[in-house]
Amino acid sequence: MAGLELLSDQGYRLDGRKATELRKLQARMGVFTQADGSAYLEQGNTKALAVVYGPHEMRGSRSRTLHDRAVINCQYSMATFSTAERKRRPHGDRKSTEMSLHLKQTFEAAVMTQLYPRSQIDIYVKILQSDGGNYSVCVNAATLAVIDAGIPMRDYVCACTVGFVDETPLADLCYAEENGGVSSLALALLPRGGQIALLQMDARLHQDHLETLIEAAMTACKGVSKVLDEVVRQHLQEASVLTGE
Amino acid sequence: MIKTERVLHLKSCVGRKLRVVREHYLRERVPCCSSLCQADCVNDGKLLPGDLTHYVVPDVAVVVDYLEILEFRELQGIIFTQTACQALQSKNRRYYKRLQTLVKDPRHDCVLFANEFQKYSYCPREKGESQEKWQTRSVCVYSAAVWYYNHLAGMMNIVMITEDPEAVAQFSSLTSGVYVISVQDYLQSFWSDLQAAHELFSSISQAQQETEGDDGEKEFPEHLPAEVLEAGIKSERYIQSTLNVNKHRAQNEAFVRPKNFSTKSTGENALHFQNRWNRHIKLIFARRRIVGILQRNWRDYVRIPKIRISTQQAEALQDHRVVVRIDSWESTSFYPNGHSVRVLGRAGELETEVQTILLENCIHILPFSDAQLREMPVNSLEKPWTVDPSEVAERRDLRDSRLVFSIDPRGCEDVDDTLSVHKLPNRRLELGVHIADVTHFVKEGSLTDLEARSRATTYYLADRRYDMLPAILSADLCSLLGGADRYAMSVLWELDAESLEVQEVWYGRTLIRSSYQLHYELAQALLNGEQVEVAELANLGPQEKGSKLAQLTEALEMLTHVARHLRAKRDRGGALELEGVGAQLDEERNITALVPRQPLEVHETVAECMIYANHWVARVTTTTTELFNQLVDTAKAKGFTIDTSCSLDRAVDHRTLGEQVVQNDGHTAMSQALYFSTGAHPQDQYYHYGTIPCTVWLGSLHTLYLTIRRYADIVVHRLLTAALHINKEVEEMAHHVNSKNRVRGSQMRSTALFQCLFFRERDPQTDPCCVADAVVYSIRDNGVLVFIQSKTFKQRGLVVVAGQDGSCDWQGGTVRKYPDRITTTSSCGTSTFKLFDHITVSHRKRHQQQASPQCKVPAASPQGRSQLVKEVVRQNEEALAQEKTARRPKLSKEEREFRQSKTPSLYSILEEIRELALMDLERASRLPATTA
Repeated sequence: MAGLELLSDQGYRLDGRKATELRKLQARMGVFTQADGSAYLEQGNTKALAVVYGPHEMRGSRSRTLHDRAVINCQYSMATFSTAERKRRPHGDRKSTEMSLHLKQTFEAAVMTQLYPRSQIDIYVKILQSDGGNYSVCVNAATLAVIDAGIPMRDYVCACTVGFVDETPLADLCYAEENGGVSSLALALLPRGGQIALLQMDARLHQDHLETLIEAAMTACKGVSKVLDEVVRQHLQEASVLTGE
Repeated sequence: MIKTERVLHLKSCVGRKLRVVREHYLRERVPCCSSLCQADCVNDGKLLPGDLTHYVVPDVAVVVDYLEILEFRELQGIIFTQTACQALQSKNRRYYKRLQTLVKDPRHDCVLFANEFQKYSYCPREKGESQEKWQTRSVCVYSAAVWYYNHLAGMMNIVMITEDPEAVAQFSSLTSGVYVISVQDYLQSFWSDLQAAHELFSSISQAQQETEGDDGEKEFPEHLPAEVLEAGIKSERYIQSTLNVNKHRAQNEAFVRPKNFSTKSTGENALHFQNRWNRHIKLIFARRRIVGILQRNWRDYVRIPKIRISTQQAEALQDHRVVVRIDSWESTSFYPNGHSVRVLGRAGELETEVQTILLENCIHILPFSDAQLREMPVNSLEKPWTVDPSEVAERRDLRDSRLVFSIDPRGCEDVDDTLSVHKLPNRRLELGVHIADVTHFVKEGSLTDLEARSRATTYYLADRRYDMLPAILSADLCSLLGGADRYAMSVLWELDAESLEVQEVWYGRTLIRSSYQLHYELAQALLNGEQVEVAELANLGPQEKGSKLAQLTEALEMLTHVARHLRAKRDRGGALELEGVGAQLDEERNITALVPRQPLEVHETVAECMIYANHWVARVTTTTTELFNQLVDTAKAKGFTIDTSCSLDRAVDHRTLGEQVVQNDGHTAMSQALYFSTGAHPQDQYYHYGTIPCTVWLGSLHTLYLTIRRYADIVVHRLLTAALHINKEVEEMAHHVNSKNRVRGSQMRSTALFQCLFFRERDPQTDPCCVADAVVYSIRDNGVLVFIQSKTFKQRGLVVVAGQDGSCDWQGGTVRKYPDRITTTSSCGTSTFKLFDHITVSHRKRHQQQASPQCKVPAASPQGRSQLVKEVVRQNEEALAQEKTARRPKLSKEEREFRQSKTPSLYSILEEIRELALMDLERASRLPATTA
């Protein structure tokens, strides 16, 4: 391919990272007070806002009510200014709908929904700036928002994308890498138990390499979980100082 | 890591401008790849040595323009910056690839420094500064140079070379220890004795000045950009095809064969160059036109169209062969612009022409470096090499139990195969083939291994050779010399003594000691029962000598017996017999005669054993059916059919001249055998010509068993010893080795060259050597191809039938071609040539006119005519007398001349010979050894 050299012979990627290094991850919890929980997360140049409402009683059609657990409702959208060219339709297109579905599946696996029968939890995620790894950034932001809302979860859900170039797995792809012909894989993990909440991949990859790729993705997710954990603890400390406990 | 951002402006696919922000991470620890490093950098791979006087950091512009100078292996301690690499990548991908291989090459002292990811050497782009401007700004590279100086704690001086006079002025005295100078100053002060670099520098800089300020009328329509081409091909507006140049008339004809056309319709698509090579690919033909080039097949060419060179050394270049690199080909010019890289020597001299052959075949040979030689075991008088006891334990020891001997051409230095035959008690025979175990000495990944990999094969020219491995291995430790203990890889068969059926096979590593080092003639004499002196037995008493001799003779007889049996078996399955010719040189390296081989039965015996070993050990040959087509066509005319898909029928029963032609065609087709990684191709894609390796001793298809000379064989050995695992690397390797082995043409050309020189000295009128019988073996549109056999030499040539080519001063006339004959009509009559007609040809030398490199003479076309022209007189043997009284159509024969001239040139002949010559590589290769 005439494109970019994604991994140089010296082992550097386009942006100067090594193969296993993550992008710079920064996050803040409790950015909005009106919602039950909210978080803002930056992973490199990808920035996302997540807001959680609930658990509250079912709104809209009551027929969707589940008797034994809560319904999780997810909505994913991208700001019109999030990409290099202005986006026409911020949400509701096919891609967003699919992404919403993936988020829903992820959080159904992680949130202890059985504690809240006949109720509903709303998770809204908005990408403010997009630079690759949208799904994983959304999951990470939403995790923080859910924690902020005080909804019990089995574990943090941490997500990360990995790609495969020259027999080497690359962690946390940026936009240029995602579009550079890399077969990428997105993985959401419950890091403590090592359980996979969601694994998504739509590129071609030799079966022999799948194992190493998942291995690399898990390591990356565990790295993300460390950062998230730190953010939560930091937030808790600040909150307890404010309430004077 | 520190995160910064870079802003890029890109164009989107629909053409809109985009502002793209990319992250850029900086770090403090970037490996410096220097052995002087004080800061414990994680350096893996190549290191710059610490004992140099300075490291040199070339500027972006220097890397882009003068990479060829930096490629000199003498220049050590080069640090390429990432900035320069990226600039090169965007400008010239071909050079970028060269830079990459340069950095990977362990023999070249240069490293790549990722300066843009280093916190202190990175200088961000200023606002509003364009990408190109930022890259060429010397600050980037300068800060890298300063970082290096500080990083190595001032222990090494850093020289930054730039072509920007402002940078020199600005930075030269900014930091002590970091010197900023221009390329010219650098070369003068540090490498004043490297004359070649200076010449190259002046040549390149001249060429650069030339390209500036050059405009004029457009001579050609410009090629379309790649994306337009791609779209056009998809929409079927353009047709993709391959340009094939007529190998017999390379300067005049080429044709284009579209991919989806099953048959070649030469007539329709033929492109006539109109005597202008220079129009090359930019051709117009009828309604069809070449609009662009998708992919080029690059290599170094020595004979080429005229190129405009601007130089101050015009005098020096006159009449010399020069390596020229084409820089550009403007649409405004008939001629490409280029610069001279290297002078090979005076045109027409033997040394120059040999260099030319080497270069055209991409053979770059440098002597082995000290580091490589240091890896080699020592075997000198003071410190003789001995067998390692641990190896003895691991190997099967055949030193005392078997009578091992080698049979090679006289004077051969590298004995790579030995034979043994042994009677076992249980009415069985044990036949053994032992090959030098090169892999023991050449460890995978060692410097020698890398060097051997890039050389891929030993090149044998008619008067010299270039070894793949250092002499200590090829001529000593991996040469199974008589009376010396050597490591070997062996195949041992247990055969039934009566039926000679194989009962058991054993492969493995062994330790052997060859008892006799025979040569073919000696072995044959022993077989014939003649009284001969065997060198190894010279010192023994007569009785002992007699018994030893009897033992040896018995072994030889046994071997011959087995070989005959094998041969007969293979003949039943179908086999082909081939033969070759080689130049015989005397002590002073003059050509005394060109002798065809005298086939001895021993030759066959040895060949047979090798074929058998190959047959059992590896399947490495494949041949495409396409190559056989010519053979099939020719054979049809004579009345036999050949089925290529199963195996070659033995078409030849008794040896007439015409049939030999067929044999040689078969040889040609098969000499293209390829190494490939089995398993990388589906099974049905390759045919296994189990019978083909019969050419082994003729040198076409050495497979497993010439490890000293072929890299592929080393690989095969490795595969044999290790578990067979096929991966990309092996496949790539196979590709590389194939491309290198195709280069074997050089060996044939080299023989052709000597044949040329032979004829140059002869007077065609008086010397009987120059008149020879020939057989027409193929008919072309405008001529015939003849096969010449005579006592003195044997080869093929193209006869251009007079009349077609008005420029020849033969008679004018017309030529008509039929499937099996060709007719010429001229003022003195009509003559017809049929396939397999016998004619008489004479070689003739004509006036010599050297076509010298043209310096700034774009308009005049050189009027160099063929110098050695063969005069062909048709003499149908039965109609000889009649012929004399009647017409004698004279035909011009473009023949062995090796100057660049306009129409029929040696180039085409060499191309022809490269394809068709009946060279026996093995024998030819050993000739120098014989005469030396």
